[in-house]
Amino acid sequence: METLALIETLDRDGQPRQILRVPQWPVRIGRAIDCDLVLDDPHVAAHHATLELHEDGVHVVPAPSLNGVRLGRAAIAPGSKARLPDAALLTLGATTLRVRQAGEVLAPEQRFFDLHQYERRHAVTLLVLVVLAALWKGFDLWLTTAPGQQGSALAWAYLGAPAGLVVWCAGWAIGSMLFQRRFAFWAHLYIALTWLMIGVVAEAVTAQLAFAFSAPVLEKVGRIAFVGAMAMMMWRHMGLLLPLRRRAFAIAIGSAVAVGGGLLLVDRFVQQQPLVGDLYLGTISLPGLRVAKPVSVDAFVKSAEPLEKTLSHWAKPGDEDEDDTPGDED
Amino acid sequence: MLLNSLLRQPGRLLAAALLGGVALAAWAGATPAAHPPVAPGSPLAKPPADAASAAGPDEEHDDSANLSASARRIYDVGRPRLLQVRTLLRDQDSQASVGSGSLVGPNGLILTNYHVVSQVALEPQRYRLNFQTVDGVSGALQLIAFDVVHDLALVRMAKPPAAVANRGTFDFRPQATPPAQGERIFSLGNPLDIGFEVIEGTYNGLVERSFLPQILFSGALNPGMSGGPVLDDKGRIVGVNVATRRDGQNISFLVPAEFAQALIARGANAKPITASVEPEMARQLLVHQQALTTRFAALPWRETKHAHYSVPVPQEDFMRCWGSSNPAESKGLSFERSDCQMDTAIYINERLRTGDIAVRHEVYDGGKLGALRFAQEAGMSFRNENMGRRTHDLTAPKCQEDFVESGGLPMRTVLCLQAYRRLPGLYDVAVLSQSVDAKAEGVQGRFDARGVSFQNALLLARHYLQGFAWKRSP
Repeated sequence: METLALIETLDRDGQPRQILRVPQWPVRIGRAIDCDLVLDDPHVAAHHATLELHEDGVHVVPAPSLNGVRLGRAAIAPGSKARLPDAALLTLGATTLRVRQAGEVLAPEQRFFDLHQYERRHAVTLLVLVVLAALWKGFDLWLTTAPGQQGSALAWAYLGAPAGLVVWCAGWAIGSMLFQRRFAFWAHLYIALTWLMIGVVAEAVTAQLAFAFSAPVLEKVGRIAFVGAMAMMMWRHMGLLLPLRRRAFAIAIGSAVAVGGGLLLVDRFVQQQPLVGDLYLGTISLPGLRVAKPVSVDAFVKSAEPLEKTLSHWAKPGDEDEDDTPGDED
Repeated sequence: MLLNSLLRQPGRLLAAALLGGVALAAWAGATPAAHPPVAPGSPLAKPPADAASAAGPDEEHDDSANLSASARRIYDVGRPRLLQVRTLLRDQDSQASVGSGSLVGPNGLILTNYHVVSQVALEPQRYRLNFQTVDGVSGALQLIAFDVVHDLALVRMAKPPAAVANRGTFDFRPQATPPAQGERIFSLGNPLDIGFEVIEGTYNGLVERSFLPQILFSGALNPGMSGGPVLDDKGRIVGVNVATRRDGQNISFLVPAEFAQALIARGANAKPITASVEPEMARQLLVHQQALTTRFAALPWRETKHAHYSVPVPQEDFMRCWGSSNPAESKGLSFERSDCQMDTAIYINERLRTGDIAVRHEVYDGGKLGALRFAQEAGMSFRNENMGRRTHDLTAPKCQEDFVESGGLPMRTVLCLQAYRRLPGLYDVAVLSQSVDAKAEGVQGRFDARGVSFQNALLLARHYLQGFAWKRSP
């Protein structure tokens, strides 16, 4: 027999719990066993509603009941009726039904995000990343400690960062458990390591380049790159939890970065600080890496002359702030 | 050895503590001399019983016989002309700070320290001045002139009461006959607001290597005595109480009388100051910084012993240098450090001292570290420098940076300037320079000058950077 429609009873997660094939209209819905669709819901009347075929399509006709019928968000009063759109969602008492009719236009097929596949595909890269990160951390530790420091103290310093990373990824994996029913630890570790390494390497390389070419602006670019990498990391983590919401997440993270960054810029401007990065380039590197030629003392001191204009502008009374004592201008 | 380590402790700002003009409560924590956490038996730890008896200055005390006959005679001579100068909140009678003063001219002309009246000078809308004589006569005071560089001010009674009209004034000891070292001199004032005192001490000449002349007085000055006169045994003013060393004992400083006489000569007939004092203050500071810059820049740098680097280390004509180094057995970076600074800084307000120069450097040997770790350490040290920040008195720093070569030595150099927000034309300048010629050794130097003109800031920066050079290995 031809199936005219499917009526799916949805659970709390929106998954079908019970599916009724409809061979003919009308369909009576309620708690009574003479209904075509029997609902085991104490908030539903014995005969709660009927789905009827009219000339312009299938309609829902509510019967008198305590809790009523909603189509989408709109309540349908008993005695009236409402035509069902494609993939209509009906709420009867505490039960949600989805009615799909033959001949409906279907949404296009969505690409499936297969976590298994994802983790398998990046397994080798992840391994390489773990090794790289361990080497980087070891190098950093070696670089910043004097020879002959106590080994156990170093071990703690060395293990602190990986422990933090494990906790971070476990947190996201619990999120994946919630939404995807999978503890996707390795996928989150892959994301975290990838973007951490990109951020850290970008910052380090730009700092070295800034020294080599005497271009403090490059270090500032590195700072921005690091923030960008962290934003990307957050976006990818969130995308693993709900792959279909990536667009919304991108907008949310973009807005957060824009608002937070904007406030920071305004604050730094008011405080007369550089908008990005430090007051001056702090990197000192190997003598052999220096490319820029030094200037003479006279030329350097001369190049500082324009500072007077900025400083006297800053010192000018008028653009005063709240820390001024009132009445000083009298 | 012990004295060295103690002396190294005070920051350059607070090596000498001023003696008044500031709330006593605030001083209590800041100045050991203000409270008695000093060694028992030290003259600074005054038993409460003494303090109480000192509160009744008019009474004759039996124990006054313990004072030397001169001190007693001096106090009797000075008492009618001695006053307490009190800074009160404008709208109530609570005192914000106290100092001392002396009658030096007709119509209630009083000499005191600038820092005693600085709150009134800078914020007349919040504070007012009052005086109180030893016998309890009081009234309002008006600021009429000041010398911020030497920390002096002239104030005048707004309506001189009849009770003080015929008290006469202090005379000054002629400049032609300065006291001899070891001569007894007598400081008067009202320490900690507990009562007027006379303190007997010794004149020990001018402080050595001080850019601004100050008399070294071996006697116990305390907060609240600021601005009080110091008299010779004929009752003539030789100096004005101004500061004490917190890390020493009985090391006190006086402003020489000649600066007070000069201020009286030009300011005694001035009208009360009603406009902002800042333009005049800036003018005085500009004169001072010009003299300081000219003298400093004329001095050649001292010879340094390092094998590869010539480093600018100042002559000790008016600066003091302290050296230090880390233990030889250290496995990391070895360094030697030299820290030179001036003893005197000019008090502007509680937060701001100015008008001085400091030079320091560190020579690094990273032989035990290797090139990469040495670069990392040098970078950390370079990056950590505090170049100042925006405050109530100063703008934020603005910097210029580049690789600079001096005498064949390439350096990474940062030059930062901050402008004074209330004293137009004055700047703080800091120059930080780190050599970048060698893989595992280097020198980092820093120069600071506070309260100089923009042109002089650049002149001093140039002078400093030109002091660096690379020496060919012997």
